[in-house]
Parts: sequence; C-alpha cells; structure tokens
Amino acid sequence: MNYIEVQNLVKSFKEKGRAITAVDNISFSVKKGEIFGLLGPNGAGKSTTINILTGLLEKDSGTIKVLGFEPEKNWEYVKNNSNVATAYSWLSDVLTIRQNLRVYAKLYGVKNCEHKINELLEMFELKNVADRKIIRLSSGENTRAVLCKGLINSPKVLFLDECTVGLDPDIADKTRGIIKDYQKKNDCTILFTSHYMYEVEELCDRIAFMSNGKIIRIDTSSNLKKLIKKHTVEIAVKKNIKLLREFLKTEGVDIVFEKDNSIVFEVTTEEDKMYKVISKIFHKGFMLSNLHVKGPTLDDIFIKIARQK
Amino acid sequence: MKLHRINALLLKYYYITINRVDRLFDIIYWPILDLFIWGFTALFIQKLSDVNVLSMLLGAVILWVFVWRASKDIAVFVLEDFWSRNLYHLFSSPVKLSEHLVSIIIIGFLRALTTFALMWIVGIVFYSFNILTISPLLIAFSVFLLTLFGWAIGLFVAAFIFRFGQRIQVLAWSVTFLISPFACIFYPLSVLPGWAAKIAIVIPPTHVFESFRAMISGTPVNQAGLIYSLISSILLFIVMAFFLEQSFRKSKKTGLLAKGD
Repeated sequence: MNYIEVQNLVKSFKEKGRAITAVDNISFSVKKGEIFGLLGPNGAGKSTTINILTGLLEKDSGTIKVLGFEPEKNWEYVKNNSNVATAYSWLSDVLTIRQNLRVYAKLYGVKNCEHKINELLEMFELKNVADRKIIRLSSGENTRAVLCKGLINSPKVLFLDECTVGLDPDIADKTRGIIKDYQKKNDCTILFTSHYMYEVEELCDRIAFMSNGKIIRIDTSSNLKKLIKKHTVEIAVKKNIKLLREFLKTEGVDIVFEKDNSIVFEVTTEEDKMYKVISKIFHKGFMLSNLHVKGPTLDDIFIKIARQK
Repeated sequence: MKLHRINALLLKYYYITINRVDRLFDIIYWPILDLFIWGFTALFIQKLSDVNVLSMLLGAVILWVFVWRASKDIAVFVLEDFWSRNLYHLFSSPVKLSEHLVSIIIIGFLRALTTFALMWIVGIVFYSFNILTISPLLIAFSVFLLTLFGWAIGLFVAAFIFRFGQRIQVLAWSVTFLISPFACIFYPLSVLPGWAAKIAIVIPPTHVFESFRAMISGTPVNQAGLIYSLISSILLFIVMAFFLEQSFRKSKKTGLLAKGD
C-alpha cells in the first residue's frame, strides 16, 4: 500500500508580479515502510513538496494522498498520524525542550507523555539540556530537539526536511542510526530530503532527483549509480611513471591528472575493461605504492542527470 | 475543536508567560504605572472640581485594560510564534486556527483578569477607590463589551500579520493607541470637535465609557448606546474572525505560514 501518493502536483508563487513554478507537475509514491529520498539543490522544490504534504502550503493543482487519504478531507487523521522535522524551523524558543515536547505531546494526544518525552530525550542525548530554553541551545541540540518533536506521536508517516543540517558528523551518524532504527521498529514511511548525497544513499530505499521543480529520475541508489559506467583509479608507482603513462595511453583510458609518482585516470567498467587494465599493470611488473579505485557517487549521477536534462 | 489541543496551547502560553519576564511584566508594570499617573492627576483635578474625577479617571484606566490586553495579547501571542519560527511546527500539527485563537483568547482574558485584580487592589489601597461598588452588573457588562471589542481588534491585527508577516508588527502595539483618542476613555463625547465626534460615536467603547461616567455622576445610562456597543462589537468580532480566516488561507497560498517570516 502506498502511504504517500503525489500526482501531477503543481505549485507556483508570485514574485514581483512574476509566477515562479516551485513544483512543476511531479508524481511519485512511497510505499508503507519505505524511506524515500528527495534529492536536489536549493530551490529544487523539495521543501515545497513537503510543505504541501504537511498542510502548510496550498497546492495549485494535482492530487496528494497521505496514509491513503486526501489530507484536505481528513486532516485530523493524517496529522495525528504523521509528523515533520526540519532544521529550518525551531520549536518555541522561550520554552525549554521538555516544555515544548510536553506541549506537542498534548497537541498530538500522546498518552503517558512524560515517559515518551524521557525516552526521546535519552535517545537523542538531550537529557542534560532538557530544561534549557531553546534559545540557549546550540544548533545541533536544536535540530535534535526538533527531531524529538518529530517522533513524539510515533508517526506512521514522517517528513524529514534536511533534518541533519548543523549536526556534527558523530551526532549526524547517530541520528541516522536512530531514524533507521525507528523506521524498522515501526514500519514507518519516511519522506527524506537532504543536500547530502551520502546521507540519502545510506538511508533511502529509493531516491527522486529534483531540479527546478521537476523530478528528473526516480530509482534506487545502486541503479542510479549504474548510469555512470566510469570509475576513477589512482595509481602511485615507486618508479617508471613515464612507462606507466605510456602504457595507459595505449590502453585508451582518460588520464585526469598526474602528480609526482601517481596518475589518476578514468576507465569504463564495461566489458571488464577496468579489471583488465589493472591486472595488466600488475603483470607488467610496475611496483605499486598505492592503488585507489573510486566508483561514481550520487553527486556525479546528479550532475550528469541534471546537465543532460 | 478539541479540548486537549486547546489545553496544550494554554500550557504553551502559560509557559511563555512564566518564562519571559517581559510577558509577566506587562501584566503588572504598565497598568499599575498608568494607575498611579492617572490617580495622582485625578487627585489634583479633584481639588479643582466638584465632579467625581477620581472615580471617572481611575475607573476608565481600569476598564481600558480589557481592550488593551485583549487586543495586544492576541497579536503578540501570534507574533511570538513568528518570532521563534514556530508556526511551521504548530500548524503542521493537528491544531486548527480556531483552537489557536480560542487558547489565545482564554489566556489573554486570564491575564486581563489578573491585571484587573491588581489594579482593583491598588485602587482601594492607594485611592480608596473600589470600582466594584459602582455597579457590579454594569462593570461586568462593560468588561464583556470592551473585551469583545479588544478581541476584534486583536483578530484584525493577527489577520494583517498572517497576510503580511512580521513587518507590520508595529500594528500590535499601535492600533489600540490609535483608537484611544476617539474612544472617549477619559472625557465625554461632547468635548470632541464635530469631525472627531463623528468617528467616536461609531466606536463601541465610546458608549461603554459614556455609560460608566453617567453611572458615576448619577445621570441615566444610555441603554441604546450600550445595545449599539454590544451589537457592533459582536458584528465586528465576526467580521474580523472571517478576515483572519481569509488571511490565514492566503498565508497558506503565499507560503508565509511555511516560512514563518
């Protein structure tokens, strides 16, 4: 069953009398228990899509369904069973984290809310600052407080809009762990947006690339990566760098650059070309001091797709 | 409308009131300061006149609190959510605009009653003036009318905030001041020049303060004026609630609600 369905969604804004299309006829669906990533640069339309799905923004046209319902017709059910966390909007800054969570727990009708609040504070390592006002928190603590609020009602559908912005790598990693854990335990459906490709790759089952309000492509990260058939290889040799260069030229690979005793080149993975080239290098007796092979990243895919379009 | 959500928001506004010294301060500081200024002024004028100036001025100051509090609290509590960029979370939760407003109105009224109680005590202690001895029924009715009018003004300001964002926040503080010269709080309608009287006569609080003064001076209360004040305040409240609802919808279209600025 699809827990999120978006069909031909359009949203435009007026700016100085000019209509700017923020979301341009996009369609996608997210299955129950799936983590779906919306990936794209600033202004791609990711947040606008989430704002429409959470009822903060009115669409121009198209249809949306959350938990099987058109939200306009059943906001109460949809909102009670979903939640949102974003790094760009704070909780009430004159209240403490605990006070904010108490308010939101009551808004969502959470039973035994003190227990739930303590559990979340523990999970996000916020217990020692729980009674500190939001305005006195670091941006990382703020982001985690918002995430606590996002999970306060144990949502079936969770919208996470760039929710790890401002977190240090350690906390960001822990946060992704908590999200994955929560999703597994609760079979929660998550719509996740981020600038960070590695994060989307780690968390999401499928990814939609967005650019200029449009969805360019939807697929799994491994399928998307297959779109680029070139790998980057860095080889450092103890001697005979000139011979290696000559050899690579005869093999027809693209040399990206050469520095000191190392050469970086791109080679296709089609017909096992990359493996053949590397094994020939070994067979020719080059004394390697370093060998590093790097596959395409989602960034490379995104740039390729966006430029093609 | 769900009671548990109104309770949740009341809890939030209670927390704001106790966490922010300035929000606690404006329940006490300005009204009491006003009472002292007008109280001493009245004591001085009292010596020059046979009219019961002290009761008129102090009573007016105490009653005006309800307009001022009711309007300012709605606007400032709405602004509070803009300032902390909290509208996003508030309105992505199941909260409805009506629940948001009801909670603000309740907390605003409680704050107004607290201020009223303090001013009542200060009036008795420092000036031997007990507003409740005038006519409890008339005072209660006046409080109701003035609060209703204050809410209507508050809704009007909130509607503008939802339509244009924080940049028009100055309205939250200035609208009641703009109305006050025409509301005949401290002086009778008859002293106003023709053009000002034309404005004053349509403003609901004018009739409340005219009746209050009539009661103190022992002349008949203009009942028609009070009925006009009741009907016009109710109508104004309904129109402003509708205006706010429209502005809120507009903010969902323009994206102001999502951006919160």
